[in-house]
Amino acid sequence: MADRYSFSLTTFSPSGKLVQIEYALNAVNQGVTSLGIKAANGIVLATEKKSSTSLIDASSSSKISLITPNIGMVYAGMGPDYRVLVDKARKVSHTGYKRVYNEYPPTRILVQDVARVMQEATQSGGVRPYGVSLLIAGWDDGVLPEQERKEAEAEMGDDDEAKEKQVKSGGKTGGILKGGPSLYQVDPSGSYFPWKATAIGKSATSAKTFLEKRYTEGLELEDAVHIALLTLKETIEGEMNGDTVEIGIVGPPADHLLGYEGVEGARGPRFRKLSPQEIEDYLTNL
Amino acid sequence: MDALVAQYSQPSHSAQDTTLDDSLALSSKIAPPLSLNFELPPIDSHSAWLRAMTDDHSNPQCPIKIAHGTTTLAFRFKGGIIVATDSRATAGNWIASQTVKKVIEINSCLLGTMAGGAADCQYWLAYLGMMCRLHELRHKRRISVAAASKILANLVYSYKGMGLSMGTMCAGVTPTEGPALYYVDNDGTRLAGNMFCVGSGQTFAYGVLDAEYKYEMEEDEALELGKRSILAATHRDAFSGGFINLYHVKEEGWVKHGFMDTNPIFWKTKLEKGEFSNVTSKLE
Amino acid sequence: MVGKDCVAIACDLRLGLQALTVSNNFPKIFSYGSQVHLGLTGLATDVSSVSELFRYKVNMYRLREERDISPQTFANLVSSSLYERRFGPWFVSPVVAGINQTDGKPFICGFDSIGCIDFAKDFIVSGTASDQLFGTCEGLWEPNLGPEDLFETISQALLNAVDRDALSGWGAHVYIIEKDKVTKRLLKGRQD
Repeated sequence: MADRYSFSLTTFSPSGKLVQIEYALNAVNQGVTSLGIKAANGIVLATEKKSSTSLIDASSSSKISLITPNIGMVYAGMGPDYRVLVDKARKVSHTGYKRVYNEYPPTRILVQDVARVMQEATQSGGVRPYGVSLLIAGWDDGVLPEQERKEAEAEMGDDDEAKEKQVKSGGKTGGILKGGPSLYQVDPSGSYFPWKATAIGKSATSAKTFLEKRYTEGLELEDAVHIALLTLKETIEGEMNGDTVEIGIVGPPADHLLGYEGVEGARGPRFRKLSPQEIEDYLTNL
Repeated sequence: MDALVAQYSQPSHSAQDTTLDDSLALSSKIAPPLSLNFELPPIDSHSAWLRAMTDDHSNPQCPIKIAHGTTTLAFRFKGGIIVATDSRATAGNWIASQTVKKVIEINSCLLGTMAGGAADCQYWLAYLGMMCRLHELRHKRRISVAAASKILANLVYSYKGMGLSMGTMCAGVTPTEGPALYYVDNDGTRLAGNMFCVGSGQTFAYGVLDAEYKYEMEEDEALELGKRSILAATHRDAFSGGFINLYHVKEEGWVKHGFMDTNPIFWKTKLEKGEFSNVTSKLE
Repeated sequence: MVGKDCVAIACDLRLGLQALTVSNNFPKIFSYGSQVHLGLTGLATDVSSVSELFRYKVNMYRLREERDISPQTFANLVSSSLYERRFGPWFVSPVVAGINQTDGKPFICGFDSIGCIDFAKDFIVSGTASDQLFGTCEGLWEPNLGPEDLFETISQALLNAVDRDALSGWGAHVYIIEKDKVTKRLLKGRQD
């Protein structure tokens, strides 16, 4: 019985569209706006924490989640779908990576794994696509972009042409995967994009226009948090305070979150959420 | 004379008094008193216990590793007998020695070879040397190879099942027998023959020897063949190696033709004659 | 074996069936990516299978991540792959040697057949002659050897160890791994 109805709900329309995916994107576009900005030394993820009633205990609900110590995630769209994806992302980062290599996956690998989960929901029997878009921010160990450029310059000397070539080809780290911060968006279709700064959800379009104006190359993390709050301010309907705004940052290792000290080489998570107090502090300086 | 013989036929640690007057009873009378002087473990079945403790083959975890593994060969040809051996002693996979003398010079005309338990071979061939000397003294002529090998065969037979391990060849040239070659092992087997290879590398040695052997060989050909057969065995058999010990037994006595390291011989054979082409001497 | 800004890994060339030497050109060291090398001793069929398995895994890693695997990451991959066969292990005891391209530091480690990693700062040995190798390495190795001295040390350690093991020898391969160079040499050992 179950077999007979176990065909994919996502079937092509005669015009070649997968309308279920478009409907899922509609769900995303009705969701609360979230945004992410990549800085030179970190990334900020920000979103509005909306509640329909003041009776909600805001401090116990959370929209920005830690996936691995160096990777965090936020969404726009359906909250329950997001929680399932957070679980799956955390799980796959262990089964598919930590348990194999004894280290956490680089951001792009995790993004690909999450994107696969979402893609499978567009092609499998008896399921519907996830009604969320994700912003995934992470920091990878390795050669940092500016460090690599410097090394390449030192190696090449005056030969500008060779220098250009070396930097373009990605140098010794090879291809896309370099150290440092990266920010990705994953859609219900399973497609993903790397961004310098972007927004998803209800006011994504206007937020992106705002970010385009405000974004500059070589931004510092502190400035990025600032811009994130300014962008959010444009779209937010209610009051902005530590309880209605949620911020997660990927920055320097937060050794105070390690829970212990004195172990050589141990580093705290780079991803952490800002406390309501910290957010309030940023807001007063806005 | 008899008193003198009796004195020497009796090991100093023997408490038992034996007199010998009949040379035919030599081996049977000498053997028992000697055997009675070995301390035996205070258990019912010596052979089973010895096997459990020392037999590497049936019990690889055995606590006592007896030196094993050998290639020895001897063959008769028109110019006498060639005796050749390797020189490796192993205890398990451990190479205990690369310089073992596996040819035992029983006297100036008789050679014995050593395969199996090193101690067993050494002890009993030395004992055989003593018996042969006593025979000479008693009879005023050298012992025949047949008789010498039989002393050994009877001796090991009396210890049958008690864990002795030896595969040996007795080679000698006597006026009565001409070149004579006997194979004796711990089962009590005693065989006369033209050609024997004994030990873990025997098959490899037989391979070369069978292919090239002719009774009508010249002396240098025969020496080269003995050397080449041992070389083949040391190459393929893990438990054979070290040096090649080469002897030629003639009517006048044996002549030693060297104790030669296999390594230079191997590379010489390979590079000059193009043999051993399986071995790579260049990187890819 | 670890040296100053270099590592060395070496193996003999024998393939045998108990006492019978079947082949004298059976290298046991495999290269994965630029600097990462894996030595495998044990059951020959598993040596082949495991080396192929890791070739597959490392190639997949390289395609997925668009970078060479680091020796540390590779060591953990070996460990987890071996433990996957906890109750029917591969009959091998691997050794990993390489240089981490990010920090330029030498790295070596060894494993048991089910993946327990043995990190070492000096040397790792494995195989039928491991007792002998412990002796020779313990005696010959010293810290901060340069590439040429390291080559001499590892070669003497291996050659002299296998000359006391009936089941090893018949020539050897030695790899000297530096940050941007790998040198492979053939040692003509005793052939008995």
